[in-house]
Amino acid sequence: MIEINGKPYTGQEKIKSDLLTLNMGPQHPATHGVLRVEIKTDSEIIAQAIPHLGYLHRCFEKHVEHIDYRGVIPFVDRMDYLASMSMEWGYALTVEKMLGTEVPKRAEYLRVMIGELQRIASHLMFFGTYAIDLGAFSPFLYAFQDREDILRIFEELSGARLLYNYIWLGGVWNDVNDDQLKRIEAFCDKMEENLKKYHALVGENKIFISRTANVGVVSKEMAYEYGATGPVLRGSGVDWDLRKERPYGLYKELDFDVIKGEGLKGQVGDCWDRYYVRMLEMHESIKILRQCLDGIEEGSIMGKVPKVLKVPAGEVYMRTECPRGELGYHLISDGGKTPYRMKVKSSCYTHVSMLPEMAPGMMIADFVAAIGSIDIVLGEVDR
Amino acid sequence: MKTNDLSILDTNRARYEEDLTVGKWFRNIWVAVSTAFKGMSITMKYVLTVKPVTIEYPEVKEELPKNSRSRLFNDVDNCISCMQCADACPVDCIYITAVKRDKEAPKLKTDGGTPIRLDLKQYTIDTALCCYCGLCTVACPTECLTHTTDYEFAQYTLGEMKYDYLATDIRAWKHRIVE
Repeated sequence: MIEINGKPYTGQEKIKSDLLTLNMGPQHPATHGVLRVEIKTDSEIIAQAIPHLGYLHRCFEKHVEHIDYRGVIPFVDRMDYLASMSMEWGYALTVEKMLGTEVPKRAEYLRVMIGELQRIASHLMFFGTYAIDLGAFSPFLYAFQDREDILRIFEELSGARLLYNYIWLGGVWNDVNDDQLKRIEAFCDKMEENLKKYHALVGENKIFISRTANVGVVSKEMAYEYGATGPVLRGSGVDWDLRKERPYGLYKELDFDVIKGEGLKGQVGDCWDRYYVRMLEMHESIKILRQCLDGIEEGSIMGKVPKVLKVPAGEVYMRTECPRGELGYHLISDGGKTPYRMKVKSSCYTHVSMLPEMAPGMMIADFVAAIGSIDIVLGEVDR
Repeated sequence: MKTNDLSILDTNRARYEEDLTVGKWFRNIWVAVSTAFKGMSITMKYVLTVKPVTIEYPEVKEELPKNSRSRLFNDVDNCISCMQCADACPVDCIYITAVKRDKEAPKLKTDGGTPIRLDLKQYTIDTALCCYCGLCTVACPTECLTHTTDYEFAQYTLGEMKYDYLATDIRAWKHRIVE
């Protein structure tokens, strides 16, 4: 006879059930960085998910308080390392707003082009890694092949492949030459074809649709409540893009559409919608790039910025539309050579905070799809 | 949310158990097979037409662009010890010591014609700390501090990453880089 705790086992006893605690991360490949999510599961279904942050905290905000304004740019790069140019652009706009610097037209064109190329590179990275999360490997290689073209152009312009330090206060570092412009144009042509191919390969695939449609639904109300921005907000069917609503740079003169999720394969705001918004956004970026290539004019690339930089005392908040959402810099200056206080509002941080509400009732495999679809970079979450 | 409140799980579970009819079942299979075939045809096109782009690194080396920011090199003969690079450095990895030059000593000039008024006693860069941002090379008035395109300089200890640019073996890089 089997005995449990000294009592004979009859098979009629009620087995006590409890939730299983599982740690996902910090070294899980599907979390795109060092994010640890503590999951309480009932068999395969998640009851609760608690994200634990701080594994990549580098004290950025305190650290830049004793670094001069030009020296901050390399640190800004390291926040969202997949979209460094967009981070730099936001910071440069913040300081320029305080200084009242005028940026030459050619530099503005270059900034828009670089920003849109960076958006394509970042979304390609999303496309590749998201396909890997859901079990398809070859799209990742195709995406990297195209991303390589962009990185090669960036490498020639700035000298680095990932952490560029290219957009400076008052302008940009290096000028672009005709050969590079031609290559950007060729890239636009190639990319338009490739994106259609990629969507047929991944987005229309039945397995992919089953994994993503109706999964991780972020309703419009939820997106508003949590303060979601960027593709996550637009995926929930909200027509909001800072490039359109609060135009900075040259976006006022450029013609492009704001993409929003329509729930083509399931509900509005599911993972498939967020994927599709990003895919269509790349088409819009190509449209912007084409207009810039037509409009770019000769001229200087650096505005007038004093060599010893002292920013007048005051306070400014500037936000830009980055590939992952809205990035805000709150800069306080006391008139010295270094920032008095700098606060960064990161979009990924708000998106991570949506996970506990998205997770309950999801299967673990779907949770991977949900994390992938909000496209977080932990460098930006922790700063 | 209380963890023992599992009613939400039952409501969400329904999502995974959608009603299947025979027609739906067969349609699902048809859609899955046809989309997979479409995807595979794209993949096969890549297999047959696109040439490999991966570079087999140690055997084949890609040439970096001219303004690529890799290992730093300071041509100490042209350095005027102005300390601007050390000031610009955001991670403070450049260490410079200089003393005032004797009045009797022969007068020195850089290649550009700037008089050298200080004797450089130490010029060390801790490459392990360097973040390769390029701000020091922009600040340099005599353009003696430059980024080279060398990128293979891994070492076994941290101490070996500290470069003393007054040492003769590092000075010899000048000829390698210029030629």
